[in-house]
Amino acid sequence: MTMKIGILGAILGVSLVAASAQAGTIKIGFNVPLTGFAAADGLSAKTGAELAVEQINGAGGVKGDMLELVIYDDQASPKEAVPIAQKLIEKDEVVAGVSGSYSGSTRAAAGIFQEAGVPYISAYAIHPDITRAGNFVFRTSFVGEVQGRAGAKLIGESLGLKRVAIITLKNDFGQALAAGFKEAASSFGIEILSEYEYSIKDRQFGPIVSKVRADKPDVIYASGYFFTAGPLVSQLRAGGIDVPIIGQEGYDSQKFIEIAGAASEGTIITTSLDRDSSVAETQDFIKAFEAKSGQKADMVAASAHTAIKVLAEALQSSGASDRAAIRNAIAQTNLTASTGQISFNKLGEVQKSVQVQIVKDGQWHHHSVIDDAELLSPPSE
Amino acid sequence: MAYEITLLTTMAISVLFALSLNFITGFCGQISLGHAAFMGVGAYTAATMMKASISLLFVIPVAAVFAGVLGLLVGFASLRVRHDFLAITTMGVVFLFVGVVRQQEFLGGEIGISGIQQSVLGRTGFMLLCVVLAGVFAGFSLLVKRSWLGFVFDSIADNEDVSQVLGIDVAKYKLFAFVVGTATAGTAGALYAQHYRFVGPDSFGFVESISVLAMVVVGGIGSVWGVMFAAAVLSVLPLLIQFVDDYKILVYSALLFSMMRFSPDGLAGIVQRLLNRVRNR
Amino acid sequence: MLYLELLFQGIVQGSIYALIALGLTLVYGLLRILHVAHAALFTLGGYIGVIVTNQTGSLALAILAAMIVVGLVGVAMYKLAYEPLLSKPPFIALIASIALFIAAEELFRIIFGPYGLSYENPPLQGGFEIISGFFLKYGEALVIILSILILSVLGWVSGYTRLGVSWRATVTDPDMARAFGVNTQHVRYLNFFIGSALAAVAGVLVALLNNLVEPTMGSVPSYKALAIIVLGGLGSIRGTLLASMILGVIESFGTIYIGHLLDRDALAFGFLIVVLMFRPQGLLGTR
Repeated sequence: MTMKIGILGAILGVSLVAASAQAGTIKIGFNVPLTGFAAADGLSAKTGAELAVEQINGAGGVKGDMLELVIYDDQASPKEAVPIAQKLIEKDEVVAGVSGSYSGSTRAAAGIFQEAGVPYISAYAIHPDITRAGNFVFRTSFVGEVQGRAGAKLIGESLGLKRVAIITLKNDFGQALAAGFKEAASSFGIEILSEYEYSIKDRQFGPIVSKVRADKPDVIYASGYFFTAGPLVSQLRAGGIDVPIIGQEGYDSQKFIEIAGAASEGTIITTSLDRDSSVAETQDFIKAFEAKSGQKADMVAASAHTAIKVLAEALQSSGASDRAAIRNAIAQTNLTASTGQISFNKLGEVQKSVQVQIVKDGQWHHHSVIDDAELLSPPSE
Repeated sequence: MAYEITLLTTMAISVLFALSLNFITGFCGQISLGHAAFMGVGAYTAATMMKASISLLFVIPVAAVFAGVLGLLVGFASLRVRHDFLAITTMGVVFLFVGVVRQQEFLGGEIGISGIQQSVLGRTGFMLLCVVLAGVFAGFSLLVKRSWLGFVFDSIADNEDVSQVLGIDVAKYKLFAFVVGTATAGTAGALYAQHYRFVGPDSFGFVESISVLAMVVVGGIGSVWGVMFAAAVLSVLPLLIQFVDDYKILVYSALLFSMMRFSPDGLAGIVQRLLNRVRNR
Repeated sequence: MLYLELLFQGIVQGSIYALIALGLTLVYGLLRILHVAHAALFTLGGYIGVIVTNQTGSLALAILAAMIVVGLVGVAMYKLAYEPLLSKPPFIALIASIALFIAAEELFRIIFGPYGLSYENPPLQGGFEIISGFFLKYGEALVIILSILILSVLGWVSGYTRLGVSWRATVTDPDMARAFGVNTQHVRYLNFFIGSALAAVAGVLVALLNNLVEPTMGSVPSYKALAIIVLGGLGSIRGTLLASMILGVIESFGTIYIGHLLDRDALAFGFLIVVLMFRPQGLLGTR
């Protein structure tokens, strides 16, 4: 009897081991805001990342192993992100991490990942200090300053408008963009008439609208997320201001158009997702995302999707066991993704062209591309 | 093991922080809706000093002093306004703190201070430091509770005017409670800065003040053991119930509401009732 | 002209604050409870306003629906949450209220999604020029008109009807009022109903001005309204109105001219603390 049980046990044991050896999973950590003020972007990012994982697994995974996202809600708060990063590294033992969250939490987590020698990719958080955490940290989207500079070129050169009123969201995102814009402004002949700041909780912009109208600018450069930009643009137009309004990737969502309604027509933004792109990766992503989520694709989702793809690509060449090797493979990336051509410089920053989109007939469409390599070169240290 | 050490450290820091509020609100009856501001003062002080490579041992007392000074100022305010007015004034303090901090470039502005170095004590050593500090303050609280000072606090918490008439220098004791409570919060803040290695203006706001008040009230206002237990559990609850994920804040607030509705004297009250039931068998 | 506009913007914002803070003052005056969860009723009003307008195309119907539904929910909140806690120390009710508010915000997010809702055909878009250079949006005009209307009606009811007298009696001395045959329970229900309905109107109006309702739109009003009623003097309706307007105007000018020093909230609370240090009972409060 004991013999029989013993043999049964051994067979069971061996088959279990064999089974787990066959269906290997590669765990990727993913911190994203699912509750709190950033929950909307968090949901988009999560869906974008999940789509990428589904597509990769559907195509056979990475060398036969399936990718698994270990998702934690960090509420876009650094205080939550730090223990989450530690949990991902120590408890879940992820091979690498991707941040689907804002700059504050990404920055806090980046330090933890760097110290533990685990690769970390920031999907869309723009603060410059994130990649300065170390050589294990990469970023697949524009550094704030770079996008700001692109905005200056767009306004001063492409659109030929010189007198600007700046409306800045008072957080790291808005301030980084404004800093880049102001830095490059003079080289494009731009005169900054005034700058106003607002907090991420504000939705009533009455006083700013009045003051901006009194300033009589040729163009407005306003930073924000769709939930602040929507009301802002709507109120600017309702306040009788007709001049062009230039935004950035924070606006990049169908929700912006829904909120601002007719007022959104003609709004121009710098971003990384071109709805009218002829690049297959971009179009495939847009269609697949809409099919999966029922929502239109936005920059946040596309960036998360790109980050996962970059990681998966690196894993293909490096395998999933040595994190330093994964890190090196990421550094060698040269990939066409939905948000452009991805390759990293010494600091882990990406260099790619800036897409400019405009709202036409209630949809985002291609406006132009900004390609100035020198202007757009990210910091390398 | 490393992850468990992290959890323990988080818990110890929260316990210290909650006990410091308990000293002010639980013992002395002065309601504070802005306690996170004092932790913030300590944390920012510590962060700035640690980035300048000053050792933790020196950082902690300085952080405590800075926080205590702000606490003294707010304590003076408590002499002017009472109860609901005091509650809202303390709420104002934390908004002012956050509003001022986010404008200061040398404090990192919107972005805060990051990249603070790991403690020389190492993870385990630091955890022990936090636990020891929390334990020391818990012991101090228990001692105070049973001493004449505890009686004075009780009296003030019960009725300030009567206490004054009875010859107690209410102002002196209120100020004392504020200074001790806020300086300890500042200490917790310094530990926070070392533990999370990042401080930002969004980490010490109104929400955090409410969270720590919730810990005190759930534990049982005034009860040292109750507050310690509640703080330890509530501080790591979001991490533990990650599986509930989408609903975790809902669960947390539902628990909090139920506690207020059905057992307003907190866990300590529940335990007390259970013990009475057992004794009266 | 700019200053006139900024003043006006301040009055618009102040009117919205007033509509929200009044409900809070009504509750405090009666029960000495800081009803933080009131802000959730504001949000609910906004959601109902958008949903009903999108379904029926009528803003007027939406406002009515919001007032009634939210009024009832407010009464329910009193019955389920506050009535049982009346005998306990007030900070228990405060924490319970905060917990209720957080739970409500989460429910909004879970039920309606994190993205928020917008009007499909936003009513009252655009504006007009009253006098040269002075622009006013239709939505803003509506805020002012509705606020004046509602406050006048309330003032008249409170001062000249039996209902109003019963209410004022209950606030002043509940036992005496009961002795005179006033049904204090009914007065409390009415209190919550009216206060909540006002918050609902504010919610619909804000939704109109922003064309966005979000689960977290009540966060700022939750503590801002507290600051306002304290500033005005806890329990004083006139004080609340005065404080709302003053704060609205201060924020309006402050965000433009000292925005780089302090943000909106810090500005509001800074002002509050200064006032309280000189007048601990608030602007129109009684010692």
